[in-house]
This record gives sequence, structure tokens and C-alpha cells, in this order.
Amino acid sequence: MTTAFKGEHLLPGHLGQFFVILGFGSALFAAISYYFATTNKDQNDKSWLLMARGSYYVNTLSTVSIGACLFYIIYNHLFEYHYAWAHSSTKLPVYYIVSCFWEGQEGSFWLWTFWQAVLGNVLIWKAKNWERPVMTVIALSQTLLASMLIGVELFGTRVGSSPFILLREAIEGPIFSRPDYMTFIKDGNGLNPLLQNYWMVIHPPTLFLGFASMVVPFAYAIAGLWQRKYKEWIQPAISYSLFGVMVLGTGIIMGSFWAYESLNFGGFWAWDPVENASLLPWITLIAAIHVMVVFKNTGHSYFTALFLVLISFVLVLYASFLTRSGILGETSVHAFTDLGMKWHLIVDVLIFLGISIALIISRWKELPITKKDEETYSREFWMFVGAIFLSLACFHLILVTSIPLWNWMFGTKLAPPTEPVRHYNVIQASFAVIITLLMGFSQFLKYKKTDTTRFFITTLIYLIFAALVGALIVYVTGIYHLHFVFTLVMIGAVYAILANAKVLADALKGKVKLVGSAVAHIGFGLILVGALIAAGTSTVVSQNNSGIGYGDEFAKGANPKENIMLYKNQPIKMNNYILTYIGDSIVAPNHYFKVDYKKVDASGKVTEEFILKPNSQANNKMGLVSSPDTKHYLFHDLYTHVTMAPIKGDLDAENGGHSETDDDKNYDAPVTHQIAIGDTIRFREGYMVLKSLNKETHIQDIPLKGGDVAVGAAFDVVAHDKTYKAEPIFMIKAGNVFDFARKVDDAGLKLRFAKIIPETNKVEVMVYQQPESKKAYIVMRAINFPYINFFWSGTVIMVIGFLLSIFRRNKELIRAEAKPLPKNGKFQRA
Amino acid sequence: MKKSSIIGIIVIAVAIAIIISTYSSSSTYGSFKDAQKTETPLQVVGHLVKTKELHYDAAKDANYFSFYMTDNKGEECKIIFTGTKPQDFERSEQIVLTGQMHGSEFHASKILMKCPSKYTQDKVEITETKAAKSANL
Repeated sequence: MTTAFKGEHLLPGHLGQFFVILGFGSALFAAISYYFATTNKDQNDKSWLLMARGSYYVNTLSTVSIGACLFYIIYNHLFEYHYAWAHSSTKLPVYYIVSCFWEGQEGSFWLWTFWQAVLGNVLIWKAKNWERPVMTVIALSQTLLASMLIGVELFGTRVGSSPFILLREAIEGPIFSRPDYMTFIKDGNGLNPLLQNYWMVIHPPTLFLGFASMVVPFAYAIAGLWQRKYKEWIQPAISYSLFGVMVLGTGIIMGSFWAYESLNFGGFWAWDPVENASLLPWITLIAAIHVMVVFKNTGHSYFTALFLVLISFVLVLYASFLTRSGILGETSVHAFTDLGMKWHLIVDVLIFLGISIALIISRWKELPITKKDEETYSREFWMFVGAIFLSLACFHLILVTSIPLWNWMFGTKLAPPTEPVRHYNVIQASFAVIITLLMGFSQFLKYKKTDTTRFFITTLIYLIFAALVGALIVYVTGIYHLHFVFTLVMIGAVYAILANAKVLADALKGKVKLVGSAVAHIGFGLILVGALIAAGTSTVVSQNNSGIGYGDEFAKGANPKENIMLYKNQPIKMNNYILTYIGDSIVAPNHYFKVDYKKVDASGKVTEEFILKPNSQANNKMGLVSSPDTKHYLFHDLYTHVTMAPIKGDLDAENGGHSETDDDKNYDAPVTHQIAIGDTIRFREGYMVLKSLNKETHIQDIPLKGGDVAVGAAFDVVAHDKTYKAEPIFMIKAGNVFDFARKVDDAGLKLRFAKIIPETNKVEVMVYQQPESKKAYIVMRAINFPYINFFWSGTVIMVIGFLLSIFRRNKELIRAEAKPLPKNGKFQRA
Repeated sequence: MKKSSIIGIIVIAVAIAIIISTYSSSSTYGSFKDAQKTETPLQVVGHLVKTKELHYDAAKDANYFSFYMTDNKGEECKIIFTGTKPQDFERSEQIVLTGQMHGSEFHASKILMKCPSKYTQDKVEITETKAAKSANL
């Protein structure tokens, strides 16, 4: 019954599948061994621990091998594998093969597994007496991730999705019953053109390292509860949490930079469910870090800290459920589609949620929860309040992003807000106002207790100053045209920056400990300032009201018309620029449109000139896919992208050439002129002069014999201040008349030399002009983003702040490990 | 009253406010008949009428695209979209429009379409097109 298929390379797939199974098995075994290593009464008995470590190493090795097999398959274009066929093609440059690797669900799961394997090894090396319980949780998480990749049938349902599935197993078709089907599969589907961007090479690994590192603080929290070390887990968890938010934050912003550079929605953040999903755990873990610091300093807010650490990891899993189960369906542009793993993903979320709840309930009475009230004038109290508001902001994001889930669960038919961006912006900005104000004034409070009068005076002085600066920015940039809440955010952000700048200044004088947080806060303030100005006051430069003939009703519509059309070589005035579409350059598969920008001042003088090259790919799978090009200035960006262009690219390449009569259809009916040398013919876009008539001796590869005549009419064609040469040819060969037309594409012209009239010494020339609609054109949109560099530089500053904080907390961690505090002693077992 | 209880009350109040504001700003999927009755923009799900003309002529107006769509109740309506024609629009299986009625025409500010993906025949992909508005905030 089995057909022997020719041309398949089954070894890498079999090997890969073997490592998938081995990876799952070893992760499961590591989890069980670590569990027994933890619960073993005799802590000197290392047999379970050694087995656990061994199998975790095996898991790491398998994970790396899975990656190697998959990479081998994609790199060698083995299209008998569905993954290679679906995500790559032979035309793809080598460096994008890396992006193919994680375009699909399986590849991105692998990436996550890989980072978790790496982190596990770091913990085995570093965690010391925390290793056993912490690694139990990590290995369990590794088991569940590995199960997403196994792709075997179990009780009639397929568990997970393997990247090593063959094309003939994945897709049904009569072709796959032929033993030689491989000879028909020449090329893969190729990588989505939007992902063919260098940011796509590094954005996913960063993002997934961020997601993966979220498990570490979670594992410490669980280990702390489990081992009744209720306080000690906090210190290492702070360090790992800082690492997690730093990496995840960087990953998220990288994604937003990719969107800005290569997507054409015209911005850097769209509140798409996929973006929101990655933001959820980031917000809660930021809140968690603050509350953990509060607990460390005062002993208050224990439950909140615990809750936030636990929920952050559950939200990572929830986010992966939202984006990978296909449940977002109609609401998101780039969610993954359903691979039949919806329930698998739900189970994953529920397992970790269940463990968290069960442990909290069973340990509830022992938790170090204080009944005493916090001092109102202490920094910790307001840090706590800030964390609460961060969590509420996150709650709002969860609620709106999950609307499709509510519909699925409760059978309702709610639609997301009609103007989602505005909805998110206004509500999230309201939270940002409160959070930035807290970020500001809590800096003037001391840990534990503050002198109230002095506090009120400094706070007020800074607030007034911030209000003045903020108001100035709002006035200059025009933010006051928007919802008033954005003005408040601006003032709040400036306030936060100023207050933290003061802390930074003090810190540099001596209190070095606070440098990290001050820098991170300044960075976050700058991100808000940059985002507000860039998104709030970006203006469409290509406003266009030249549209004609669709009636007044349409013209009155509220929608601004943002696309302008450029014919090749016809300059158009756009705001204070003069734009000309001057040509194309094609680097397959991209088609670059050269758009010349001339900036003119009031007197009409050109002050600046540059060329932008937005590109499009006429992709035969997705149609026209455009990427913008941006002119970067220090204080603003000019963003240009093509929304429509009559290019066919590889779509029509196979159709071959067109016959002459077909070609004439691309032109208006010809006009015939009888002219002598030196005469001028006018046409719509310029004129041409007949310079000379030349007797030709050679026409391409046609040999001329005795009685044959060939004459060329040399024209100088002048259009749009440029001169082109064209020489249509008239020929008599063996008594028959031929003519060879010449085209001037840039002027939309075709010239035919139809006749020689010896009596009048004139020649007859037929002039074909392209109608406007057949001429090369592009439709484009241009947007000005002011001060967007604040947004990017704020990110860099924030990351530096996180790094400094990590160094500080690590030092504390080493000190704490050197001599454990006596008050914690009673919780310690070993 | 203890501070923790005050914070608790504030948290609950804000949470309720969020739920209400989310619920009130969430819209519903409607039909063209619903759109006739209301001034506020709403979302209509339906299918492209493939037998009728899709009109886009960049030379005449680069920001005008019109077509016909039937909603899920079977009612047909002319749609006008301020923008360029989305790629592969002819192949769309399902369309979600956001916009409002102007007379007998539906003016869409956003088109979300579902296409049978050529990328991987066994998957479905979604693309979104917006009549982009400046100042999103």
C-alpha cells in the first residue's frame, strides 16, 4: 500500500521528530525528578537532582538539535516539508531564511523553548539552593512548551503541531498520490514580504527571550510558597523581573520600530490585539517590581507583590493563547491562525493559574501579610498606589482585547470599539496622567517617613514648573487641539522627567543606588512625550482635494483625502514640497519608486532636495505589498509610502510579450504629421524637432541588400525640461515596406516613420500618445511625524535604567546571600 | 477608615468604570438597515457583490473607491471608501466595514477583509485597510 516517493529527504525530518519527542520526554522527566529532588527529606541525597540535571541537559541538547534540523530543512529548500514549503522559497536571500524560521507558530514556539532552555541552564548554574523547586516549575513549563511541538495523534486528536510534518501529510491533493510528486514542487510559498526586513531577524528572538524570562520570577514565587520561604524569593525575583521587563520592553519597541519602518498603517503603535497581548505581562511585571521593592523595604503589600508576579506569567500564557488560538479572528490583522491548538493552549493557561491559586489558598494563613497601615507620606505607599493603577490600566487592556473571547464564551455579539485607537488612547492616557504624577511626586518622598511641609513645597514648585514647560510644549506642537487628557499627560510626563532628573542629579552626587530607577523613569517619560507628539500631531502632508466628479455629497464627507497621484515626471506641489516621480529601480523582488522632494521657500527657491525610495512588491501571493521610506531629521520624520501603483511584477511575467497591435491599444489614436527637417511637432507634454534623416546601413540583425533602403528620422524630444533622442526607422526591403517604431516611455510617446514623400521633400510621422490613465503613475501618502526621536531615545534610556537597576539588585542579592538576614531565618528550612 | 479599605473602594470603582466605558464604547455588528436608523458609525459584516462594478480610477480621484456589498440579512448597498482600493479586494470572502450611511450610500472609514490566503492554502489570512485619518489620538 505504501508508495515509494521519489526525491524526498526523510532523514532530517525523522531526526527532528526524534528530538521533538526526546525533548518532550526529557523535559517531563526533568520536571518529575526535580519535584522529587525538592520533596526528598534527605537533602544530601543527590541522586534525584543529578538525574534531573542530566535530563534537563538532554532537553537543551534536543531543543538545539530541533532547531538545527529545521534550519537544515529550510536552508536546503527541502520543500517536501510543509514548514519549508509554507514559509520559504528559493528566491529568498540567505539572511531572511532566519526570519522564515520563526514566521510560523512552530518556529516561534521553538524559539520560546530554546530561550527557556537557556534560562534553565543559567538557573542550574546560579540558583544554588533555589535550584530544585525553581527548576521544577521551569521544567514543567518546558514540558508544556515541548508538548506544543510534538504533533502526534493521541486519542483521536492531534496534540501540538510539529514543524517536521511533510507537505503530503499536511495538505491533501491528488498530486500527492504520485510517487514523483516532488518533481512538481519546484518552489515554496515564500516569506511574507512584510517580514522581509532586518528587524524581523532580531525582533522575534528579543520578544521571546522577554516572554521566556517571565517564567523565572514566577518560578521563584511558586518555589517560595511551596518551600515556605515566603520572603527570600523576593530578592532574586526582583533581579530576574528587571531582566524580563528590560528585554520584553526592548522587544516590543523593536516591533513597533519595524511597524514604523516597513508597515504602511502610518505609525508605530496601532493597539492591535497582538501588540496589546505582548504589553499585558510587561505592565503587570513592572507593577510587580515596584511592589516587591515596597515589600522588601517595609514588609507591607506582600500579597499584591505575590499576586502580580504570578499573574504576569499567567498573562504571558494568556497572550499566547489569544494570539495563537485564532480566537481573535476578525479583530486582528496579524494574529496567527488556528492550528487546532485552542484547547491545548487553554489547558496550559489553566495549569499554571491552578497551581498559583492552589498554593496561595493552602499557604494563606502563613503568608506574611501585615495588618498595619502604611504611612501616607512614605514613598512605598505611593509606589503601591502607582502599581495598582498600572494594574487597572492592564485590566482595561485585557477587557477590550479579549472581546472576541467574551463573545466565544458567552455567545454575545459584541464588536470592538469602532474607533479602537481613539478609545485606547483616551483611556490609557487617563491612567498615564495618574501614573506619571505618581512617578513624579513620590520621588520627593523619603522611604518610610517624610517631613510634610518641605515635601509639599518642593512638589508644588516642580509641578508648577512642569505645568509651564508642558503647557509650552503643548502650545508649540498643537497638542491642545486634541482631547484635553493628552495635555494632562504631557504635563505629567514632563513632571516625571523633571522630578527624576533631580533624583539623578542627587544620585550622581552620592546616593548612587537610585540611579537606575531615575534613569528608567526619565526614559519612560520621554517615551510618553515622544509618542504623544509624534502620534498626536503627525500631519498628512499629502492632503489632496483635487478629486473630481464624484458629487458634492462625497466631497463633504468627513474623511480627509490623504492620497495623491503622481504621473511620472510631472511635478506636483504638496504643501511646501514639489514632488516628482522620477523613475524606478528594480531590485527583484522589490520595485523602488524614486520620488524627488524639493523643498521650496516662500520666494520659490529650492532650499533642499532629496530622493525617497518607497518600494512595493507585486507579490503573486499577496498582491501589492508596499513598504514606506522615511527621511529622518533630528526633530521630525517625513514618511512616504505608495498605496497604489500599476506594477505587475512577477504576476504577469509568464504571460510573455505582446504583439504590436496589442501595444497600440495602450495609446490614443495616432496623429499623422508631414514634416521636413527642422520642423517641430507639439504634443501634450512638450515638443519634438526633426533633426536629420539618416541613411541606415544596419538595422539590428537584418542584412540590407542592393535595392533595399533604410532611413532613420532622428528626433530630439523635449518633455518636462529633458531631452530624449528617438529615431524611428523606415525601410524598404525586397519591395516591401516596413517601419520600426521607437518609444519614449518617459514622455509617454511612440513614434512611427510611415512614409517618405519625395515630391515635397517631407516625411510622414505618426505620433502615438499614451492617455493619462496608461501612463506610469503612483498613488502615495506622506506623513510628517514630529519629535518621534524622543520616543526611540526614551526607549534606549529606559533600557539603560533597567540595566543599572539590575546591577544594583544583583549586588544586593550577592550581599544577601552572603549573610541571610536574621528575621528571615525562621522561614528557612534547610 | 483604614487606607487599605479606601484604596480597595477606589480600585473597585475604577474597575467598574472601566467595564462600563468599555461596554458602552464597544459597538455591535449591524446591518445596513440598522445603519439607516443611526447617526453613529457602526460595523457591518457582509459579502462583496462580485457581479457589480468595483470602481477605482486613480486618474480621476486617488481617494475614491466604490463597490457593492450585501450584508448578512441580504440587503445590498453601494459602498464608498475614501482611499485606495485594497489589494486583492476581488477575492475577499467576507468584509467588515466601519462607517455610516449618507443617503442611500454607506461611507466606510475602514475595511477589514478576509481572503482565502494564497500564501498557505490551508490557512486564512486577514488584511485591514483604513481610510487613514490624521491625528489618531
